[in-house]
Amino acid sequence: MSYALNEVEATAKRAARGAGYDWGLAEEASKATRWLCAQGLDGSALLAALLEAGYAADLSAHVPQDLQAEWQAKAPLCPLGTGAALSDCAAQLQSAPLVIGPLSQPAMILPFAALAARQLGTCVTIEGDGFQAVTDGAALQCEGVLPETAARLTIRAAGTLSNPYPTRTRAEPEEAAWAVLNRFAHKTYAPATEESRLLGAGAGLSDND
Amino acid sequence: METTAQTTISRRDPAQVMRLSRLGSLHQCRLSFMRVLTRRMARENWSFARPKFDIDAKGVGVAVYTATSPARTYSLIAFAHDLPPEMRSDRVIATAWDATFTLFDGMPTDVDIERLSKNVPYQEAGRVNEKSLSVSRANRSVRLWAHFVDALSQGQQPDPAQVDAVGYLMRTTAVYGSGKLGAADREAIAGRSELNAPFQAEMLSVYLTRVFVRDLVEHMARAKGGEKAVPLAPETARRLGIGNSTGLGMAPYIVNHPVLFNNWIMAREEAIARVRSVETASAEEAACFRRMLRRSELSASRWHSEHPVQLEKLASLHKDLDALAAWVAADDLLNDKPWDRLIRWSETALSLEGQELAASLILEPYAELVDGLSDCMSDANKDAFIINGAMPVAQVRELLQNSFGWALDLDWSARENIARAWYVSEEKLEPRMGERFDEPIAEYEQPLAPARDAAAAHAALAHWDGVEPVAAFLLRHPEHRHTVRRAQMSLVAPYGEIRSNTISDRVLPIDMLRAKLSFFGATHFDPRSDRWVRICMYAGAPYPEDLSTANADLWVYPEANQ
Repeated sequence: MSYALNEVEATAKRAARGAGYDWGLAEEASKATRWLCAQGLDGSALLAALLEAGYAADLSAHVPQDLQAEWQAKAPLCPLGTGAALSDCAAQLQSAPLVIGPLSQPAMILPFAALAARQLGTCVTIEGDGFQAVTDGAALQCEGVLPETAARLTIRAAGTLSNPYPTRTRAEPEEAAWAVLNRFAHKTYAPATEESRLLGAGAGLSDND
Repeated sequence: METTAQTTISRRDPAQVMRLSRLGSLHQCRLSFMRVLTRRMARENWSFARPKFDIDAKGVGVAVYTATSPARTYSLIAFAHDLPPEMRSDRVIATAWDATFTLFDGMPTDVDIERLSKNVPYQEAGRVNEKSLSVSRANRSVRLWAHFVDALSQGQQPDPAQVDAVGYLMRTTAVYGSGKLGAADREAIAGRSELNAPFQAEMLSVYLTRVFVRDLVEHMARAKGGEKAVPLAPETARRLGIGNSTGLGMAPYIVNHPVLFNNWIMAREEAIARVRSVETASAEEAACFRRMLRRSELSASRWHSEHPVQLEKLASLHKDLDALAAWVAADDLLNDKPWDRLIRWSETALSLEGQELAASLILEPYAELVDGLSDCMSDANKDAFIINGAMPVAQVRELLQNSFGWALDLDWSARENIARAWYVSEEKLEPRMGERFDEPIAEYEQPLAPARDAAAAHAALAHWDGVEPVAAFLLRHPEHRHTVRRAQMSLVAPYGEIRSNTISDRVLPIDMLRAKLSFFGATHFDPRSDRWVRICMYAGAPYPEDLSTANADLWVYPEANQ
């Protein structure tokens, strides 16, 4: 089924929150998922796979332990927490490339590289074993196959876009992944009670007159 | 924002403007989205047609109304239903309606209409695609509808007193746009000049809905009365608006879109500042203001509500209008910055209702100073989302202090200050507000208490070195990320934050609803509880066949003979 990108964004935000991420990171996850879908990648499937890894329960173990030197942790890095840090530290890319790894779902860090590119006004190149991606913030090109986990990524403020993906205005998420996102999203909904039906929306005076 | 006009008076302080009590007293103005649309349609000489009206004697069928701009055609596809009375509800939990609609991008084929007929009548339970720009539904005003059909079918015109008491034949209970239910994203249409200002597709859909409702009531009267039936008198049709019931679902919108909401408020504040800076007014400008003030009095006299809060506000407004009339009678409104004098006086003498009415009214004589600002009201600033991680902690603290200084010392453990929690219900996936200490909702709380969260972030930042980049703080404290983002947004959006507690035991969500709806151009706010409100849209507006540059703008102010 074809979905509006706003639907993807809204569902992704709820799903990330339902999976245990704080609101600010859930916002990042939703924009990132939308951006991937706009590039023609199945952002929903990538996010679903990431959420099922369950990093949010112990996120501090899955983000860079130190923002100096190489970004790593004892456990695989989460691309949402790490990606947010990448965007926050975009200026660092001007002085030196950033080395990150091991990183789970490296495709999910591409939207954050795009945020860095927008801040720097240059292309950003993300390179790992068997793939290289370049983004100028708006568009993306990618050679090779993005693995489920990247042992080591190098991110630098460099590169040119010679053959970007055509951008999309709709998303066609894989059904199973979309169901996973909705399952996580569901955790953010308060079960209805008769009281909340009446009070929560403020029934008040007659609505049929 | 356009800054060509010279202003010697600065915009009002966000600390004054953004209190919820004031936002809940806003009135429509020249920048309201309905007026932006009708002005454009007249200026560009849009054409309108009704290529299909296939509705039976029971009122069941489909109709299509088209609006054609110089660049494109948009079509309202209206599905009319025969709804059993017991199924009629304005609540978002309803599953059937008197009429359902979609605004279609272009001219629909029969195949499109067939596809949509299997989806639009089911609203949330259906799906549309990117050819739909909005999806909406409406219910009849039971009292007024029956009276109209009866009267017209017997060759009589409806009783004007009943028209005044209700104001509309149908009210919409939701108008979904921007990607909802599969419709086109805002981003897909925002580049079109006619849809660039906020909510233009939704406003167009409601404008055409009003035409459909007029046609449908005449059709039903003919079906009932046959040859005896008469068409609705144009002056009565003109007075009818489209009602709208707006519930809690809309309240979070202005919190969730701080840059967009800022752009609305800032455009109006800039307009007010420009007009206050006018040194001398011409006789015609002063006369225009006096006329609109008189017509506002008439509009206020037709504004009804049973809600105690609104009754009190209406009583204040009537008093304010008397005081305004007296002040205006004693002043020539020509010299010594007349509008600034008026606003400064209003701040000492009028209630918030009256102050904000005056602020909207002084804009009326100044189309050339004001109307261009409507181009600044959408939000194209996607980069406002990006956190500047290099910003020193001390500066983030200062930004929080600027927007939420008033909240930092509030006792955020006191029950009265956190009595409410916003959540999304499992049942309808709609935002609701509940009692934090009486209902099991706290763990589902939505981030709609920016003031509380700002106080928490500010306290957490207190332990950090002020020169440290905020990126390091955010790595350790992702729970404050959304708050730091908002704090940085305030640099480009000084009017982006509500300066009141949105979860206190005294919060009135209807204030948030009114703030939003006033920018649509709504009038006659009629709260039905503290959480939902009825309004009227397009009352007094010319129908497509009468729309001209002469009447495209000031219709919102009723004339005595209307």
